[in-house]
Amino acid sequence: MSEEFEPNIVAFLCNWCSYAGADLAGTSRMRYLPNIKIIRVMCSGRVNPLFMVNALQQGADGVLISGCHPGDCHYLEGNFYARRRFMLMRKLLEHVGVDPGRVNMSWVSASEGAKFKEVIDETVAKAKEAGPMEQFRRRQINW
Amino acid sequence: MVDENKLREKAKEVIARDDVRRLIGWKRGTYGFESAPIVLTDASEVDQLIFDPTCVQNPASFVSLEEKLPVPRGQEPDTRKVAVLVKGCDSRAIVQQLVEKAYDRDKIVVLGVPCTGVVDRRKAQKMFGVTSAPVEIKEEGDKYVLTIDGETKEAPKKELVADKCLRCRFPNPLVYDELVWDEVAKWADDDFADVDEFEKMSPEEKWKFWDEQFSKCIRCYSCRNVCPMCYCVECVVQKLKPQWTRRSTDISENSVYHIQRAWHLSGRCIECGECERVCPVDIPITKLNRKMTRDVMAMFEYEPGVDVEAEPLLACYNPQDPEEYIM
Repeated sequence: MSEEFEPNIVAFLCNWCSYAGADLAGTSRMRYLPNIKIIRVMCSGRVNPLFMVNALQQGADGVLISGCHPGDCHYLEGNFYARRRFMLMRKLLEHVGVDPGRVNMSWVSASEGAKFKEVIDETVAKAKEAGPMEQFRRRQINW
Repeated sequence: MVDENKLREKAKEVIARDDVRRLIGWKRGTYGFESAPIVLTDASEVDQLIFDPTCVQNPASFVSLEEKLPVPRGQEPDTRKVAVLVKGCDSRAIVQQLVEKAYDRDKIVVLGVPCTGVVDRRKAQKMFGVTSAPVEIKEEGDKYVLTIDGETKEAPKKELVADKCLRCRFPNPLVYDELVWDEVAKWADDDFADVDEFEKMSPEEKWKFWDEQFSKCIRCYSCRNVCPMCYCVECVVQKLKPQWTRRSTDISENSVYHIQRAWHLSGRCIECGECERVCPVDIPITKLNRKMTRDVMAMFEYEPGVDVEAEPLLACYNPQDPEEYIM
């Protein structure tokens, strides 16, 4: 039995823009890929890069962090800090040998339902290309 | 140049001051090619102080590690200063700790020791074998004169000196109250060629390399304990609620430990190379840290441990930061 690989994506969406954008995509009845598991956070600046590493460890094949456009942050500057952090974390994971396509970041505002769909499609495509995350996934789950 | 009498005189002068509680420096080790750190509390102990190419340790690690026990009622806390001897690379740790406000500048007395390179224990052991007696090393021009078990041996400096000294950009302390002797001339520059070389590998090759290295790790946390920048009271890897990494030593947890350590040191690592020196299983940890240092310099034009007035890298932002990967 051969099945096509379907990646698991964990998405950290900011409460004020991207989560509302995802909501808009849903209420506008757009179809986006179902590989995504959404975690709502108050701001993209809330996401510790360790969340992402932990997600990859526990079975995610890709991670998406999405926040407000620069300058639109509800907390004024949270997404600027997040941008710096994830830039560095992405470089680090790349150096260790993890495909950089597994770490994605996007700016989606509350009115960009269509953009949200595109972002999801692209994220899933990249994770599909990278294949199953096998490098440091936990082998022994119930230790 | 290196004159231990000058060092001891200066140390005596400083430790005798009323506002100095203790002095951290180096003394002769008990065996092998490395000296040991020493904490002096009294002027009578200064004869133990040394400085020679065996003084690899970074005394800046000890400044922020002191346990702050609660003071009994009726007693005043000891607010006297701590004096510390620093080489060029060690002084960057002091600068970075000051940037992060680990302590106030007026709580420490920094005695700068311009340095012309220290010996790498691994290289020396390869050349002369393991010795049970402490080795004395003197620098004479471009060679080292070693006294091993009473015998005098010579070796070219280039072959024994630590890797971090071969690319040392800061031989003179960047922050100090007093210099013990005259400044030395800078002899090397750093072009991060080793990082570029590593970057050329494919992702599979990179992971193969790190898989092998991380699998060796026994999670003794020596690298964290010795690091001058790892001074958190509670470290994230030992936190149980929430538990970020489990304590088992399998490849998954080991990778996450090393990734999170490199991540916590990005924009903070001052490249003293202590983590790699103390690693009992020879994991090339600085390979990760140097990659982050280079990228931080390239992307944010920021170098840790150079400017006392700087803001910590991840506690500030620039609206023009690169964002080419963001969708």
